[in-house]
Amino acid sequence: MTERTSEGIDTLAGMADFVIVGAGVIGCATAYNLALRGHSVIVLEKDESIGNGGSSRNGGGVRQSGRDARELPLAMYAVENIWPGLSDELGADVEYVKRGNLRLGKTEHHLEILQGLARTGVEHGLDMRMLDANEVREMNPFLSDEVIGASWCPTDGHANPLRTTLAFYRRARELGVRFISGVQVTGVRKLHGRACQVATTTGLYEGDGVILAAGLGTRTLAASVGIDVPMHGLLIEALVTEMEPTMFPQMLGTADADFYGHQTAHGSFVFGGDSGLEEANGYAGGVPTSSVTAPAICRSIMKYVPRLADAKIVRTWSGWEDESADGVPVISSIDEVPGLTIACAFTGHGFGISPIVGRLVAELACGEETTLDVSAFRYDRFHAWA
Amino acid sequence: MSDDLIRTAGGMGQQTPSPSDRSKKPGEFIPAPDDDVLVCRCEEVTKGDIRRAVHDGMYTMTEVRRYLRVGMGLCQGQSCTKLVKRIMASELGVPQAVLDAETSRAPMRPVEMRVLGNEEDTRRGDAR
Amino acid sequence: MERHDLIVVGAGPSGLSAAIEAAEAGMDVIVFDENARPGGQLFKQIHKFFGSKEHRAKVRGFRIGDELLHEAAGAGVRVALDSSVLGLYQDREVVVRHDDEVFHVKGDAVLVATGASENTLGFPGWTLPGVIGAGAAQTMMNLHGVRPGDRILMLGSGNVGLVVGFQLLQAGCDVVAIVDAAPRVGGYGVHAAKLARCGVPFYLSHTIVSAEGHDRVTGVTIGEVDKAWRIVPGTERHFDVDTICVAVGLSPMSQLLDMAGCDMVDDPGRGGLVPVCDERGATSVPGIFASGDVSGIEEASSAMIEGRISGAAIADYLGYLDHDDERSRVDALETSLDSLRQGMFAPKNRGRVVEKTDEGCPISRNLLEHGFLSDDEVWSYPGATHAKGVHAVIECSQNIPCNPCQDACARGCISIGDNITSLPVILPEKSCIACGMCVASCPGQAIFLVNEEAAEDYATVTLPYEFLPLPVAGTRGKGLSRSGEEICDAVVESVRSAGAFDHTNLLTMRVPRDCAMRARFFRTGREGSGEDKEVLS
Repeated sequence: MTERTSEGIDTLAGMADFVIVGAGVIGCATAYNLALRGHSVIVLEKDESIGNGGSSRNGGGVRQSGRDARELPLAMYAVENIWPGLSDELGADVEYVKRGNLRLGKTEHHLEILQGLARTGVEHGLDMRMLDANEVREMNPFLSDEVIGASWCPTDGHANPLRTTLAFYRRARELGVRFISGVQVTGVRKLHGRACQVATTTGLYEGDGVILAAGLGTRTLAASVGIDVPMHGLLIEALVTEMEPTMFPQMLGTADADFYGHQTAHGSFVFGGDSGLEEANGYAGGVPTSSVTAPAICRSIMKYVPRLADAKIVRTWSGWEDESADGVPVISSIDEVPGLTIACAFTGHGFGISPIVGRLVAELACGEETTLDVSAFRYDRFHAWA
Repeated sequence: MSDDLIRTAGGMGQQTPSPSDRSKKPGEFIPAPDDDVLVCRCEEVTKGDIRRAVHDGMYTMTEVRRYLRVGMGLCQGQSCTKLVKRIMASELGVPQAVLDAETSRAPMRPVEMRVLGNEEDTRRGDAR
Repeated sequence: MERHDLIVVGAGPSGLSAAIEAAEAGMDVIVFDENARPGGQLFKQIHKFFGSKEHRAKVRGFRIGDELLHEAAGAGVRVALDSSVLGLYQDREVVVRHDDEVFHVKGDAVLVATGASENTLGFPGWTLPGVIGAGAAQTMMNLHGVRPGDRILMLGSGNVGLVVGFQLLQAGCDVVAIVDAAPRVGGYGVHAAKLARCGVPFYLSHTIVSAEGHDRVTGVTIGEVDKAWRIVPGTERHFDVDTICVAVGLSPMSQLLDMAGCDMVDDPGRGGLVPVCDERGATSVPGIFASGDVSGIEEASSAMIEGRISGAAIADYLGYLDHDDERSRVDALETSLDSLRQGMFAPKNRGRVVEKTDEGCPISRNLLEHGFLSDDEVWSYPGATHAKGVHAVIECSQNIPCNPCQDACARGCISIGDNITSLPVILPEKSCIACGMCVASCPGQAIFLVNEEAAEDYATVTLPYEFLPLPVAGTRGKGLSRSGEEICDAVVESVRSAGAFDHTNLLTMRVPRDCAMRARFFRTGREGSGEDKEVLS
């Protein structure tokens, strides 16, 4: 399975209708959608493994609530139209659970924040409301007495991001998409004014169009054809417990955003969170998990769900969030570079909208009318503030 | 030893892998009489599950782990990793040396939240 | 944050040795160990170690453990027990769990000496209760005084399988077979010989077909394997057992080094994923070192020296020892380490089929394929001679670094020389006083005192005997051959125990004269002895 091209970096190593850089959930979902339309696709992934970036490290939230208003239509569309049938569609159980999202508050200030989120949601047609202390505990009897209220979105939920990513990959591969992992992509090249080549250290890949869905790495690649996507990386952490008896099906979050997570089909709990020091410290290389973050996440969790004090953590990890300059992704055809489409900067909430984004990016790449209006995600929206 | 075999750290995913074309398939899946033997005791994954996963396109230990949960249980792969590697290498027809090793992470032993969160004040600037 | 010069993870032989070395150079050292007792695997090693005096040859593992603890205490090393290191983070910081708290501790240097864990083998039925690692069986028996089972099959003929197999016999278990897929015994021939003469059969080129049982092991089937590791049809054999011990190798527990960002390499020759280190154990991360099994599976003796080397290197690294002192210390230690890494079982010789000893004697194929020297083969080695009166017969036929027999004989009858892997030679001009020290000192239990013409109608054979209950003078029984076959009647003439023998009792039996060079074990007679091992062909 290992292929080392000795011919050199300027040899043509593959051709297809589309070349996608990045085999995370976005890249795989896009490849799948293109394949459904009968196109040939090559997907290039720098890592040895498919989906080893944010796609396999996030908390698995499939939520609409709490999103920027620009993202809400995408999330709502995905939740209503795609997620419920996704397991059948891909032939693999992605463990999608649609049992709601509780965002918890312990103070009046928290409740104000949550009310704001609920208002935004409702304004955009999302079923969402506030719960008082009694209602929230009726919904989830495991919450601590400190919780005085919550926002409640009954159509939110969660899924398994590892299996979802690999399910898109598997199905796309079955449909003939050619995935090549362990490839070092060095840039995008134009031929006759059109972006249609991807240069790697082991050869060139050519198509009618190029799609960049490489998380933070997209920035350097887009720069090779003169496009900048303003984003920066933030390393955040997550943890997982051993199997626990079934406790509650809702996705949990907090007004403070100090942790979020859910109980998986397996029974283990997956939580993400932070120590508050991430932005200040930055990450300068070395050990990617910090000695203080997991303890901080644990303390946060225990204040809201006391029962989990005895749950045993079996693993911690970290992942890069590609933080957009304005909090929402770039999902865009690049007008000034014909042939190029970009999907990145999901700022830590790409998983929930990935099934619809995959379709939208395929539509953009094919020059079709998009299922939803994506003008809010244009690549050229970033302006100086004055 | 060749550079392929040394996994260098320094951020995630920064290894020096060689390209692996997933459209090169490892032949047909042929059922074997020992497909029902358990390999990962903690998550009850069988040899057949692992072999089938390879044919589903899972060519690395990392992918098989995320696909099947082998090595995600209590022992975090202590018992089964070598067995999985052998099976995968055999199914893919490659030497074991080219397969990846899952990065180890804390905690080395399962630890209760209440214990992990109970940091004795040996840090500067405690913010509990 | 609490800060030490050196944090050592693991209070096994390597970690403690490093801590002692560093503490003796004046460093502030703390050792964290997750167990309730220190010593790693040392305390369950009840057998006598090989090597030479500097390697503590002929001393039982647990006594070496005691010595090490004593030395550590004397050097001011702090050992924190029940302290599990959960992670090794940036800047050499560890998070340690003790009781219900975690502690953050930093070291200017960190040495990871976490040892190794046992491998598993996935044969059908391997998850049944009763299938356990050989090391686990050893812990149960030797630390907790619990017999792992009654009828046991041992899979694996490396030193772990052989040593634990013998200890199972000592614990009163019935070891029905030693099985190995390899065509040759993997461990020392002398360890195999101890088992063979007790009647334990060896099945090389065999593997387990399946373990059977409903909710626990009740039986096992083995079969011969061909060159492609497939079972040859018709070669299946079944044993009724309640336990299957698996001794199929160890894997380094190198997870802390991996998480800390050390360059790692998957090296089958070292047992698995190990850190890339220099000869002093320095990894690719400045200030992080590794020694002992975690950096490559070997054994306790080499782990201890590696620990010392790393201890000295770390003392130099942190300015507690000057370069020249460090270099001469490390040179001496490396010479000692090197002397262990010689001979037939040296790491550099792994995988090689050795046909002759360094002296030119043929390596016994019978020993390698069946676990015992044949009667004729014994004479090929310089330790076996005829003489008048009592004389030592040394059935040592492989080059292993080991020489306590030479030091044991006050009369100078035994010679090995400066190269401790040489086979022992009986010097004919010296006369034996039958003190038995050589018999008791041989870690391989391979030395016998024989008087071929003790009386007109019998010879005497004095053998090392480490089983309870001890027979008494006058006990009748059978003499067993090297292959465990009952070949003659035998009577116990005496059983000697002495402090200097350290629990290796010397049993002298009278056997027919023609069995003087064939009888090598004593089995007490039983009324209507119907004990036999079930072997269905």
